[in-house]
Amino acid sequence: MTSRITSSQTIGPFPHEGWRWAAELSQQGATATTWITIGGVLFDGQGQPVSDGWVEAWSPVAATGEQGRPMPGFRRCATGERGEFRIELGASPQAAPGEPVAWITLFARGLLKHQFCAVFLADAPGLANSELLAQLPAARRDTLIAQRQADGSYRWDIHLQGDRETVFLDFS
Amino acid sequence: MQFDEVAPGVYPSLIHPPYQSTRIRGPMQPPLRVKAPVPANDGVQFSPALIGPKDLDLTSHGSSAPLGEKIIVSGRVVDEDGRPVRRSLLEVWQCNAAGRYWHKKDQHDAPLDPNFHGVGKMFTDDDGRYRFVTIKPGPYPWGNHDKAWRPAHIHFSLFGNVLAQRLVTQMYFAGDPLFAFDPIFQSIPDEAARTRLAAHLNMDHTDGGNALGYDFDIVLRGRHATPMGL
Repeated sequence: MTSRITSSQTIGPFPHEGWRWAAELSQQGATATTWITIGGVLFDGQGQPVSDGWVEAWSPVAATGEQGRPMPGFRRCATGERGEFRIELGASPQAAPGEPVAWITLFARGLLKHQFCAVFLADAPGLANSELLAQLPAARRDTLIAQRQADGSYRWDIHLQGDRETVFLDFS
Repeated sequence: MQFDEVAPGVYPSLIHPPYQSTRIRGPMQPPLRVKAPVPANDGVQFSPALIGPKDLDLTSHGSSAPLGEKIIVSGRVVDEDGRPVRRSLLEVWQCNAAGRYWHKKDQHDAPLDPNFHGVGKMFTDDDGRYRFVTIKPGPYPWGNHDKAWRPAHIHFSLFGNVLAQRLVTQMYFAGDPLFAFDPIFQSIPDEAARTRLAAHLNMDHTDGGNALGYDFDIVLRGRHATPMGL
C-alpha cells in the first residue's frame, strides 16, 4: 500500500511570528566549549539579497553535546534586510571526518519547496574523502564549503539560482 | 528509512512564471539525489516541554474570543507506508478572519484582531494524530498581479521523525472558488496532488454548537526498507 505524499507550498512572507520561538532558542548559545560560527548571505538569481528567507541548521554531532536542551543541535535563523544569516554551533571532536558540519534546510517566499543542502568547513579534516561531496559534480562542490575568515568565523553564501547556484540535495 | 523519487507533478514547479518571485528564486538545477544515511535516519529531537496548552488553541491568546468562525483542524500524519509519524513537531500559522497576518510587514488594509495572533505548535501522538482549535482564515489580496487573492489557507510546518521528512505546506478548504486563480496553488502540476491540500468538513469532528471540524491528513515522504530475503 503506497500512500501518496502531501505536496509542498512556500512559507510566504509571514512565518516570523510562528517561527520566532525556535529562532530565539537558537540565540541562547550552546554548551560546547568550541564554537563554530557560520555566516553568509542568501542571494536570488539576480544576485540580490533575499530578506525574507529562513535557514535551518541541524548538526547531529552538536546535538550530542546539547542533550537535555529544548532542541539539541538545531538552529533556525531568519535572513535580515541584507539577506544575512548567522548560525552558531558547538563543535565536537567526535565529528565524523567528511560529514558536513550541519545539514541545512532553506525556505523563502517564492521558493515553492524547501531546499536541502549541507555545509562543510574548508579546513575540516577529511574533506577530500567526504562521501557526500564525492557524489556531487566537482565543479559545484565549493558551493557547500564555508571559508574561514580572519576572525575565526566561517563565510558561506547561498545562491538560490543562477551560475553560482548552490547544490541542493534530495536524499535517497 | 528510504526515500523514493517523488512522482512527477506532485511537487510544485520551482519556477512557475505566474508566481512572479519564483522566476528569480526557484533553483534551475534539479536537486541531486545522494546517499546520505544521517538525514534519512535521524532528525531533530524537540523537547515535549516546548508545547503548552495555548499552542493547541489559537483562539486562547487574547483576553476574549477572536472574531471569526471557530474551527477544529485535525488529522493524521503518516509516511508512505501508511505508518504513523509519531511524536513529531508540527507548527501552524495563519491570518485572521479578515485576512490580516499578525506581522509588521503585512500591509493589507484589513483589521488586526487583538485576540488572534495566528500561531500554534503541537506534537503528533502515538498514532500520528494532531488537533488544534483556531478560526477560519480569510482570503487576502497580494501584489502578484491584478486582483490577486489567496484562497483561505493555514500554513503547516512538519519536522517528521527524520530530517528528510521535513515539509512545509498550506492547508486549504475544499471547494474554494479561488483555487482556479491562485498561482501558488496552481504551481502543483498534478491535480490530485493539489486536491490533497484541501481540508474537508467532518461532522464527526464538529464540536456541537461550538466549532466545525475539518480533517486534513498528511503523508510525509519515506518508507521502511523491506529487509532482504523477506
